[in-house]
Amino acid sequence: MKSPRKEAFVDSLQLPKDVCMGALRVTLTGNGEAWIENYKGILEYTGQVILLQGKTCQVCFEGSRLSIDYYTNEDMKISGCIQSVRFL
Amino acid sequence: MIGILQYCRGYLRIRVRGFSPERFMNLCSNRDILLWNITREDGVYDMNISLRSFYKLRPIARKTGTRVAILERYGLPFLVPQLLRRKMFCAGLFLALGFWIWSSFYVWDIELTGNYQITEDIFEDFLEEAGVHVGMPKEDLDIGTLEKEIRRTFKQVTWTSARLSGTRLRIEIKENDAPILTEEQKKDGGSDLVAEYDGTIESMIVRNGVPKVSIGESVEKGTVLVEGSIPVYNDDATVKEYQYVRADADIMLLHERTYTARLPYSHIQKEYTGRTRTQRFLRFGNREIRLPQERPFLVYDTVVRESRPQFFEMLSIPVWIGRKTHREYLDVEYEYTLDEAESLLNEKIMTFLISLEEKGVQIIEKNVKIDTNGGTWVITGNFQVREPIGVSVDIRPPKDMGETGSDE
Repeated sequence: MKSPRKEAFVDSLQLPKDVCMGALRVTLTGNGEAWIENYKGILEYTGQVILLQGKTCQVCFEGSRLSIDYYTNEDMKISGCIQSVRFL
Repeated sequence: MIGILQYCRGYLRIRVRGFSPERFMNLCSNRDILLWNITREDGVYDMNISLRSFYKLRPIARKTGTRVAILERYGLPFLVPQLLRRKMFCAGLFLALGFWIWSSFYVWDIELTGNYQITEDIFEDFLEEAGVHVGMPKEDLDIGTLEKEIRRTFKQVTWTSARLSGTRLRIEIKENDAPILTEEQKKDGGSDLVAEYDGTIESMIVRNGVPKVSIGESVEKGTVLVEGSIPVYNDDATVKEYQYVRADADIMLLHERTYTARLPYSHIQKEYTGRTRTQRFLRFGNREIRLPQERPFLVYDTVVRESRPQFFEMLSIPVWIGRKTHREYLDVEYEYTLDEAESLLNEKIMTFLISLEEKGVQIIEKNVKIDTNGGTWVITGNFQVREPIGVSVDIRPPKDMGETGSDE
């Protein structure tokens, strides 16, 4: 999916990858909160797993008592006890 | 802040169930519908959504095959119609609002600061006379005139500032710290210094004028001590004319002063019986509200304590609460014992002596005795004192004297 050419181009111009490549941007604060930007949608949402679809990959948050504080087109916030973040 | 905004615009808690709630959420976010506090319980999703966005949900729900149910409603759009249904509540609200606005056209409190010599009672009386009182309309208040009036009435006030802050009239004054000097009128004519008492001159320093007595001389009351008319002589030692000056000198006179004070044997003293009765009251402005009560005792005095709750003071509401304590007493006639009489009379004489000392009088010798005389104690004090004397007496212009002097 990734085009090496485009990546080289973005790299050489030192452009932010989340904007140009549509890469997922995850900000974690401890294991309690996570802010996610640049996603396409939710694939699965339970108290233990939240699976999100990005442009190039999927990201899976696993933990307990997970909940979505807010959810918009731009970004979302997950809170709860996050045990792992996996990219699929 | 965001919470308040959301509350103002109204939001709902909805429950989404069905085939694919995740897809429902994705579609929502694609259409810029904000969802928050999304929780999952037993296969159903609960979330908050703004009222406006809720109306856009129908096509999404149909598309995703989910069912949306409203759990709770929050915010003003739901609260207001509910309140409007309660007619009396609305009426009360509007009346309260009206009253609030109406009452803001009046002065509800007068605050005075910076007064030391002028007591608040005196100032209140003055304000009453000037037509300024609690409860007067703001538009009747002329602050400029009031400030001028304050300065004119109270001479010791050097600066005033009155201003309205809300419904409170704040008056600030500055008093003159220095004593007010009565202006000494400059007179054209001169003046003599005249003795006030009989006695012997002990010392004399003349600054202005012609001394007429010498040290050691005994003078009588009314004797001219220093004359304010200075003769100007011709070559032949005759008086040409007089120059009139204000005689000025420090003269100490040795003389005797007597002081007598009387004290009747008996006096009436309040003796409290210890029986008191308390009455509470509420005061609005000048109107007092209290429970009706008959005359508590035959003879009594009353102590009033009142205070204004902080809350009312802050809001400038003229409400005071207080307590009146009526204390019963009996008039009992007492006779002074010798010791009591002595100490009371001595006190009197001490205050007299202190007042003398304040005037610069030195006491050289004193002789005090206490006697009884016709139902009273009499204290007689004879004091040998050294006292500064000399009162100014204007010279009656002896016009012809000057004229004749020059004629010769």
